[in-house]
Amino acid sequence: MIPSNINRRGFLRGVGACIALPALEAFLPGRAMAAATSGKIATTATGAPLRMAFLYFPNGAIQNQWAPVGSGRDFIFGNTLAPLESMRQRVQVISGLGHVNAEAGADGAGDHARANGTFLTGVRVKKTAGSDIRAGISVDQIAANEIGGLTRFASLELSSDPHRKSGGCDSGYSCAYESNLAWRSPTSPLSPESNPRMVFERLFGSGVPGQRGASLVQRRTQQRSILDFVMDDAKSVQKQLTHRDKAKMDEYLTGLREIEQRIVTAEGFKNIPDPSMPTPEGIPTAYDDYIRLMFQMMALAFETDATRVSSMILAHDGSNRSFPEIEIAEGHHSLSHHRDDPALIQKVAQIDRFYAERLAEFLKLLDSKHDADGNSILHNSMIVYGSGCSDGNRHTHVDLPVVLAGNGGGRFNPGRHVQTDSTPMCNLYLNLLDTMGVSGLDRFGDSTGRFSDV
Amino acid sequence: MLRRTRILAILSMAALQQVARSETDYAGMYEKEILPILEENCYSCHGDGEDKGKVSFDTFGSTAELMNQSGLWVHALKNIRSGMMPPTKKKRIPQEDFAKLEDWIKHGALKIDPLHPDPGRVTLRRLNRVEYRNTIRDLMGIDFRADEEFPADDTGYGFDNIGDVLSTSSMLLEKYMQAAETIVAKAVPLERRITPQIEVGADEFLGTGAGGGRDSELRISLYDPADLTAKHNITKSGTYRIVLNASVNGSFAYDPGRAEVEWFVDGQRMMDQSLKWEAGRPVESTTEVKWQAGEHTLRLMMKPLVGKEQKPAEKPGDGPPNVDLRFKGVTLIGPLEPAFSKRPKNYDRFFSRDEVPQDTAGQTQYAEEILRGFTARAFRRPVDDATVSRLTTLAMDSAAMAGGSFERGIARAITAVLASPRFLFRMEEVLPQNDPQDHPLLDEYALASRLSYFLWSTMPDHTLYQLASRGELRKNLPAQIDRMLKDDRSDELMENFAGQWLQSRDVESVSIDARIVLARDIGQEKDMRRRFEKYQQLNRDIDAAERAHDSTKVDALRAERAEMKAKFSNGGRRIEFGGSLRTAMRRETEMMFRHLVQTDGSVLALIENDSTFLNEELANHYGVPDVRGDKMRLVKLPPDSPRGGILTMGTVLAVTSNPTRTSPVKRGLFILDNILGTPPPPPPPNIPSLEASEKTHNGDDRTLREALAMHREKPLCSSCHDRMDPLGLAMENFNAMGLWRDKERGQPIEGGGGKLITGEPFADVRELKHVLVTARRTDYYRCITEKMLTYALGRGPEPCDIPTVDAIVEDLEKSGGKFSKLITGIIESTPFQKRQRDTP
Repeated sequence: MIPSNINRRGFLRGVGACIALPALEAFLPGRAMAAATSGKIATTATGAPLRMAFLYFPNGAIQNQWAPVGSGRDFIFGNTLAPLESMRQRVQVISGLGHVNAEAGADGAGDHARANGTFLTGVRVKKTAGSDIRAGISVDQIAANEIGGLTRFASLELSSDPHRKSGGCDSGYSCAYESNLAWRSPTSPLSPESNPRMVFERLFGSGVPGQRGASLVQRRTQQRSILDFVMDDAKSVQKQLTHRDKAKMDEYLTGLREIEQRIVTAEGFKNIPDPSMPTPEGIPTAYDDYIRLMFQMMALAFETDATRVSSMILAHDGSNRSFPEIEIAEGHHSLSHHRDDPALIQKVAQIDRFYAERLAEFLKLLDSKHDADGNSILHNSMIVYGSGCSDGNRHTHVDLPVVLAGNGGGRFNPGRHVQTDSTPMCNLYLNLLDTMGVSGLDRFGDSTGRFSDV
Repeated sequence: MLRRTRILAILSMAALQQVARSETDYAGMYEKEILPILEENCYSCHGDGEDKGKVSFDTFGSTAELMNQSGLWVHALKNIRSGMMPPTKKKRIPQEDFAKLEDWIKHGALKIDPLHPDPGRVTLRRLNRVEYRNTIRDLMGIDFRADEEFPADDTGYGFDNIGDVLSTSSMLLEKYMQAAETIVAKAVPLERRITPQIEVGADEFLGTGAGGGRDSELRISLYDPADLTAKHNITKSGTYRIVLNASVNGSFAYDPGRAEVEWFVDGQRMMDQSLKWEAGRPVESTTEVKWQAGEHTLRLMMKPLVGKEQKPAEKPGDGPPNVDLRFKGVTLIGPLEPAFSKRPKNYDRFFSRDEVPQDTAGQTQYAEEILRGFTARAFRRPVDDATVSRLTTLAMDSAAMAGGSFERGIARAITAVLASPRFLFRMEEVLPQNDPQDHPLLDEYALASRLSYFLWSTMPDHTLYQLASRGELRKNLPAQIDRMLKDDRSDELMENFAGQWLQSRDVESVSIDARIVLARDIGQEKDMRRRFEKYQQLNRDIDAAERAHDSTKVDALRAERAEMKAKFSNGGRRIEFGGSLRTAMRRETEMMFRHLVQTDGSVLALIENDSTFLNEELANHYGVPDVRGDKMRLVKLPPDSPRGGILTMGTVLAVTSNPTRTSPVKRGLFILDNILGTPPPPPPPNIPSLEASEKTHNGDDRTLREALAMHREKPLCSSCHDRMDPLGLAMENFNAMGLWRDKERGQPIEGGGGKLITGEPFADVRELKHVLVTARRTDYYRCITEKMLTYALGRGPEPCDIPTVDAIVEDLEKSGGKFSKLITGIIESTPFQKRQRDTP
């Protein structure tokens, strides 16, 4: 029975604490452990897993409230990021990174679609309403390709923005650009999961605690039993196809091979952890509860080493969500075109802070969890929190609002406000990939080098 | 071939006379005949060094290069046809030249070949969520909530069924495999015979004390006495098991309510329990009785043990305390005697014989028979022997495994079918063609699928499949279209096509703040905000005082709050923009569309109409008198009503608004995009799409109309906003909830008159509707045709579709816009009937 003096929100917060999990070493599979100690891939110096996450918030930020005052270690958080104060030694605010490929150029309007589509890909996404969407492989997927075999899931794509509207999306751009962050290939976006129940069941199986492991095994057995037939069927179909139809079937076949690979990989993992929490019921009504729950899912995935690469869209760029949770009735996007009206600016800043508070909660959650090497999970992570727009009012994409959280397993130097000037965001990504142990990459997106002052 | 003649018939004779022309001819024709027309009518802005709107005709290296600019020519054709170009202040292109130019653009520049019409290329389409759910319903007989289980499909060209955009990730594939398991487990019976079982719902129980319920569930408060009886008739004597379905459900906060509940079968007490506050504990009773055929009584009684006066007050933040018995009724299982056992539901859907053969050879043959039939239905075309044989092996292997059975084996093979690409994608095959220049016709099975997914968003039914298998579908198209549109499944066309085209799908989720919208109308937006902030502050103060146990302060603050509440209770006017009203709005749009399709009305009546679909709630919202009850029905509007037609329906008015106010720009854009088919170019980069400053220099609020007028003074903005704003402003008498208003920000709203960019004036929204269906009728015909063609084909419009669209528009013109001409025209068109031949 739930004691009546704890309200629902308090209960949700409590959930994180009541997950009892076996110590991480107990379920690190031998193979991964071996890889972890022999090489440098997705591993900290102590041999613990190293994780990478990208969290996207929409419509930029009110810059003078976002930006810290001062630089280096000697800085004061602005009002927006003040909720991070207690995590100060775990984060660095980076000013001056940008995505030139999200600028208008010859493509004209559509800054929100571009902001979203460019954020992890670094490329200029093709302006098309549908027939030939094209972005680039995203930074998280480059890492996932390299290290995905170490964990049960190569990567985990999440979203707390399930709604799709009818009609077109931003100014002639396909909605695919703004509903996805991760791109497996230039033409195949990875649609994120927005239902917390689905995420949980995918990670740990369905049913009540104690039975979930068995349901995963059963699911695998079932998948295996039909995989051969389906694979043959797809191959025979593939032979009859031409042009873009063939590309569509390629997506299907690639997906099948990934599932096949995942089954093989999964066989190597015994004793899948089974969190002693109830399966989430679905999407919570209040937006803050919803984000919190999705972040919990990501934290669980990291804690149990189900994956080391994840991304989450808090809301798509251009999102016009209103925030009854903080008594803001107007839509975020409408407000973000504040035309310098102080009242509107204040509301946008409140929304920016609302998102930052969720980030702070997530970081605290990760910092409260112990990793295999005794450090916190947050210590052994690299978490990028940012937006593809900087000034939502003017649609700019230079000097993006970016926070890099986590110590990168000890390789980073957090607790600072790092200032750079007109540096491609992709330079930071190259550095993250280096840290992750992904080798042999000279360029990514519009990179001009490596941004290593982290 | 019958279709061939039809397709040829839609080509104009003028076009036919020109088929012999080669590209060189057209280039020559350009120099001699077309260039002078352009020079005369277009060059003052788009030639001789001028490139207004970054368009010029004389900056290309050669005529051949100019002719290759298909984007330019599509644009040019669209603009001269819609009267956008030359602009109204310039002289019109003489009719003869206009025809010449139009014809040259189509056949010369865009290389449309009337002898071998190009159907364009439709990319292989995956079933979207809606189609998947419907297909599973028709194929498997169960409802699978694909909308909840699968991620949303991406949209392109405004629709979510566009082949190129429907991608397939490994996550989605994993979900498909999981869904196949779930669906088969639910749909395919594994037992050959089962004991009959029926539900006696709570609604069959009559008497006193039934509380409010949801669906077939009664909620009886533990504070209320109840005595409920059902008289149930059985036809077969035998042993029955009677299972009571009920549970106790308490609120989050503790409630001291208690009651005694008793359960009787034919007057005999079977259960007696004391109930108290608990979260979701079942109240169980299972009884076996020998029953004779005839009437039997089931009775549930509840006696409260705690008086209502002891019910505690609501604590802030916890919600009201309560505890009730949730009574769902009774499950009646029996007769339990084996002689009465029967086929499980759905058994016949999958298993054709009464008995499964005992021997392996017989079983294999039976499995083959079942799987051949099922797979053909699932793949929507006959299936090859190799596939059947592989599925049979899968089934038989699976049946032979530990714990297996014949039924389990079949179930496994069916699971594989549901995960197969031939189920998930719409594979299309073509008929052999004689002329290698020609594009081949789709085969009849592919045609059946195109038809059923277009009109029903689901797989072909038995009739369509049978006609296709006999090769008689093409011959019977008109009759089939007619049958399909009369079928209830055609609701899907309204929900999915109209729902996306007119965005009526979105009205149920669009975020609108009723309080602020209304306050803004009467010019009290600011006061209301201040009041609201004050109210919130009071709430926080009360919370703080409670935490500090300062009861004097709590009382004082509560009194203040109550006073405030009483003072600003909004005069009893509704301030909700609630779910049932939004649903009624969505239904209004869909039902009007459906009504016009089914009665073969005119597409014009979607815009201008003296009737609409209303129930009492929506009629009150619209100010239409004398409509009673929840049922939506066709209502003739009062003569002075501004309603009737989609532009003044709640759906369009709400989905084109911002959360706190209307947006004349979005409304204008909606008309340009979805009615006239002449969307303005997107706003220039780096200039936010503002509706201009709403404040004057000294900080006073402007009305939207004033603010927009200022905005249009800037030349950069005016070229597009002159097109959008007047249209949107004509609708300013409707607020963001679609409610009529006379004032905005306390200022009277002036008439709403204006004119279209093409020159037609209108005095108000009613005249605007009239202009759209008269002077701009052809634009609207072309627009709705292109939208529906996009939806039907699952691809965006291509230049090769121009002859198809032109032919349908001509039919619409001749028939006064009949829906049948539109739908049949699309189905009989080249792009719908044919498939682009593979080019090496």
